[in-house]
Amino acid sequence: MCFKNLPVEFDERGQPFLRGGIPDPYTAATAPANVPLQLSQEQVEELVRRNGHVKSVDFDPVTRVAGALAFHAVADLKEGRVLEARSVATLFRGYEVIMVGRDPRDAIFITSRACGVCGGVHSTCSALAIEMAIDCVPPPLGILVRNLALSLEFLYDHPLHLHLLAGPDYSAAIVEPTNPALFARAKRTEAPHAEVHGYRTIAALMEDLNPLSGKLYVEALHMTRLAREAYVLICGKYPHPQTIVPGGMSSTITLTVMNEMFVRLSQFFDYSKKIASIWDDLTEFFYEANPRYKDVGRRRANMIDTGIFDHPDAYDASYKNADAWGNRRWATPGAIVDGELRTTDLHTINMGLEEFVEHSYYDEWTGDGQRQRFATDPAGKPLSPYHPWNKITKPRPEGQNWKEKYTWDTAPRWDRLGMEAGCYSRLWSTAVAQKLPKNPFIEATGHSLKVRVPKGALPEMDLEWHVPAVWNAFERNRARAHCVAFTSMVAMNNWMAAMDRLKNGDTRTSVPFEIPKTGERLGVGFWGAGRGYLTHHLVLDRGAVSNYQIVTPSTWNASPTDRWGQPGPYEEAVMNTPLLEETLGTEEFRGIDVLRAIRSFDPCMPCTTHIHSDAGVITREVNTCACGVDG
Amino acid sequence: MARSLTLVGALGYRNLRDHSVAFEVLERLSEADLGPGVVLEDVSYNPIAVVQWLQAQPADQQFDRVIVVSSIERAGRAPGAVSVYEWDRVVPCDALVQQAVTEAVTGIISLDNTLVIAGYFGALPAAVTIVEIEPLEHEYGDHLSAEVMHAMGSVVTLVRDMVHERSLGA
Repeated sequence: MCFKNLPVEFDERGQPFLRGGIPDPYTAATAPANVPLQLSQEQVEELVRRNGHVKSVDFDPVTRVAGALAFHAVADLKEGRVLEARSVATLFRGYEVIMVGRDPRDAIFITSRACGVCGGVHSTCSALAIEMAIDCVPPPLGILVRNLALSLEFLYDHPLHLHLLAGPDYSAAIVEPTNPALFARAKRTEAPHAEVHGYRTIAALMEDLNPLSGKLYVEALHMTRLAREAYVLICGKYPHPQTIVPGGMSSTITLTVMNEMFVRLSQFFDYSKKIASIWDDLTEFFYEANPRYKDVGRRRANMIDTGIFDHPDAYDASYKNADAWGNRRWATPGAIVDGELRTTDLHTINMGLEEFVEHSYYDEWTGDGQRQRFATDPAGKPLSPYHPWNKITKPRPEGQNWKEKYTWDTAPRWDRLGMEAGCYSRLWSTAVAQKLPKNPFIEATGHSLKVRVPKGALPEMDLEWHVPAVWNAFERNRARAHCVAFTSMVAMNNWMAAMDRLKNGDTRTSVPFEIPKTGERLGVGFWGAGRGYLTHHLVLDRGAVSNYQIVTPSTWNASPTDRWGQPGPYEEAVMNTPLLEETLGTEEFRGIDVLRAIRSFDPCMPCTTHIHSDAGVITREVNTCACGVDG
Repeated sequence: MARSLTLVGALGYRNLRDHSVAFEVLERLSEADLGPGVVLEDVSYNPIAVVQWLQAQPADQQFDRVIVVSSIERAGRAPGAVSVYEWDRVVPCDALVQQAVTEAVTGIISLDNTLVIAGYFGALPAAVTIVEIEPLEHEYGDHLSAEVMHAMGSVVTLVRDMVHERSLGA
């Protein structure tokens, strides 16, 4: 049974139907079983009252225009445990409200501004939603070039996250003061992949992860520059592209453009090998030094991804065929629960999606005479009243209260479970599903993903990412590092296919389209960001947007506790994180393990991350851009 | 004589009331006769990418002056107040630079971060003028407050005059 918690069953032909005999099935459905729960406020207050070493701390957000993600926690500083964690998005950007009444094409440019880093994914997701709503299918070269553009955007994102954001947490500059014994061990430990990345010891590797001055930090900046240059060849500008349209890309693609792109893409061959071996070595070093590091950022392997990178022979922009074209993507869609792949069907992924606002600064849109707008999706499959196509964004700012409402982020759930999004989710479902198109570079084995990276200065190399036994901060980073190779080879496959098209005289990258001015039409962009899952749900009414709903990776990851007391992914990961810093209880305590946990998600919201100790109390500031916390 | 090239950059958030004022300023400037050698550009994105964009300009098209227009909250200023100053080029300690980078790579758009990061990586010319406008309204939406709307006219005139002075002086 695909759904364990939603009131949806499947008949013998695999068609879903709403369980009968229940008057209000989505409300009556039981709470998800076997999920972690937040402590009640009464329990927390009692713990703080009875134990001097249990501290309840509110972290004031950094005041910035971009908004902020505060992080409230209750920590037992004697036991080194976090007892309660609350993720708080403090700014509402209102894109979903702004879009209502507009021409849908505006979404391509407006939603791009949801983020200062990953605008292209929002533009593309908008274009896909419009394509579906107006029945507009891009030509094959348009699909291939779109895949190339977005893989280049990810090749910008991944190094940036790994070596400018997460990397410094594993650098000598951080590890030596927070865990001196660990750093001493790093000096004595030889790096297994020294012949690939060039660092004889783990300590030497950590030295080059140092912020600003480390060679790996500087190299990451250089690699992002290359990715950006290649991206601009197709998209005109970074990060807000100018060439993404419904029905393809408005770029002019020539052999010269393709060659210029290849010159830059090929420099990721050796970088892929290096970055994967670096994070393999770092991860194994920490595990061997102290197995409790496996608990840093640990949570259930519950993940969701819509897949990304369409196959030109399969993608027809229709909702009806979304299962078929979704399963031919270069990254397979997937809902993974406790490490088990439940489905790769985009219809089922979409059906299982709900958003809740019990702890969010929004008014409920169901009940009290509200008619559910869509009982089924365009394929006749049941939809929850909490599904984005039914959701109405009704902002209601009010005071913060942990029992009541405390964030601008909503709580998206799939089958009522807290799922996390990340590029690793696409790696996982692609590896397990084994549905990849035939190609010379990437092979899914069912338990791993093998990537054959061509020769550069380093020889051709087979990298293998294994589905991990435990899911934590280290595995997120390791998987992201392997995503560089995966994404590079997805790009290579699409580059080669595009070259074949061009050589055969096929230069068409887009088709003309019109926005119909009659009737009601639904569309959804199933796409992905560098950080994972991305959907834009669109309802058009006589040519204008009547509803627009965005769910980003950070909407999932930063989500608050839901109506059943189930924490969001950041919250859950932090609650499971042991405080392993050797400076625990001293003025020097930084809370580095908590920071590693949060940063491993690649937050599209910076944990500004100055954690400092003030008389034994963790004081931390974590702030965010608006991307991901919007409605 | 070498050609003088001035960048007028808008830094803010679209559809966020007064934080969108810089784009309105740019829009109005685009309709004005600014003369040759003036580039109007939205620089409201990840400052690392802003640095890379500045450094990617061809050698003969490097900017020799940058004017950044931005709304930003500063203590003690009345809504709509306009502050103009030459950037002092002071870059903070490495820890604060890294903090700015951390914010930058995760999507923060901020005048201070952009200056810190662009300054640290040497992407800005010697002449950098900042034009700040104190916002009043911070909610989503596309309408400026009356105070900021009132200030916008003088900012447009101010920037236009700065650009003209520069082209006369060049």
